[in-house]
Amino acid sequence: MFARAQQIHAEHPPSRLGRALRVRGLVEMDGELTVDGTVLGRINAYRVNLSSESHVEGDVVANEVHVEGRFSGRIFALHVTVESSATITGRIFHNTVSVAKGARIDGRMPWRPPSYFLTLTQLPETRL
Amino acid sequence: MSSIFTRNEPSQGDKTEPQKSESAASLDQAKRPSPAMAQASAQVITPPAPPPTTQPAKGVSVISRALKITGQLESSEDIQIEGEVEGDVRAATVRVGAGAKVRGTVSGDEVELSGTVEGKIEARKVVLTSTAHMSGDIIHKDVSIQSGAYINGHLKPEYSKPEQPG
Repeated sequence: MFARAQQIHAEHPPSRLGRALRVRGLVEMDGELTVDGTVLGRINAYRVNLSSESHVEGDVVANEVHVEGRFSGRIFALHVTVESSATITGRIFHNTVSVAKGARIDGRMPWRPPSYFLTLTQLPETRL
Repeated sequence: MSSIFTRNEPSQGDKTEPQKSESAASLDQAKRPSPAMAQASAQVITPPAPPPTTQPAKGVSVISRALKITGQLESSEDIQIEGEVEGDVRAATVRVGAGAKVRGTVSGDEVELSGTVEGKIEARKVVLTSTAHMSGDIIHKDVSIQSGAYINGHLKPEYSKPEQPG
């Protein structure tokens, strides 16, 4: 999943879901995605930035996730960065994680080996 | 540390001035791009100035080519779609770029179609460019169709008819 994404990553400009945008459903892409708005559902991408104005509910599956906004649900990512402005409810499945002082996290942060993330698309628990 | 703190900080007033001169410098930029860029970055200490390329304004949402959305999209601002959407799109202005594909209803004040839509378009102003491929009805008040556009469906000038006679 990610090996393919890495190739495509360079070819496409990053997508942006603007502040006023509200998406309900599945968001899938191979490159970088920045969310400023609201997403209810699932996000699949190579790299996901949830900005300080974002509000996401559901699952985020990515190689790298950067959280600054409100999130509730599950994150499945090799590398997770949580900024101090973030408010997270739920679970963060990660291999490496960094949490800034001031971030609010309510939930669990289970560590997983890198191999866990390679098969993520097949796992039943990540289905919408 | 994080961006929200630095964003609220500059209320000193001295920051607005260099930004003005920076935008003036960006006008010259078309003639001599690299020196102007060097000037601009020298004047503004904090580098929030986005490069004046194809990067859209912050409110605009971009669904890039690699992106696929299954579900509904709703925005009070503009949406530019270059990727694939299965579901309904509603925004102030919707631009469906060449190569983009939407399966569902596209509604808004203004819809500009250069890609493919299978479903319905409901907008006050509809623009179909030469690369547009439209399968389905178009409900509009004002339509413009360029030569080369493909339309399979009805054109109905019935958009928002609240004051109908009788």
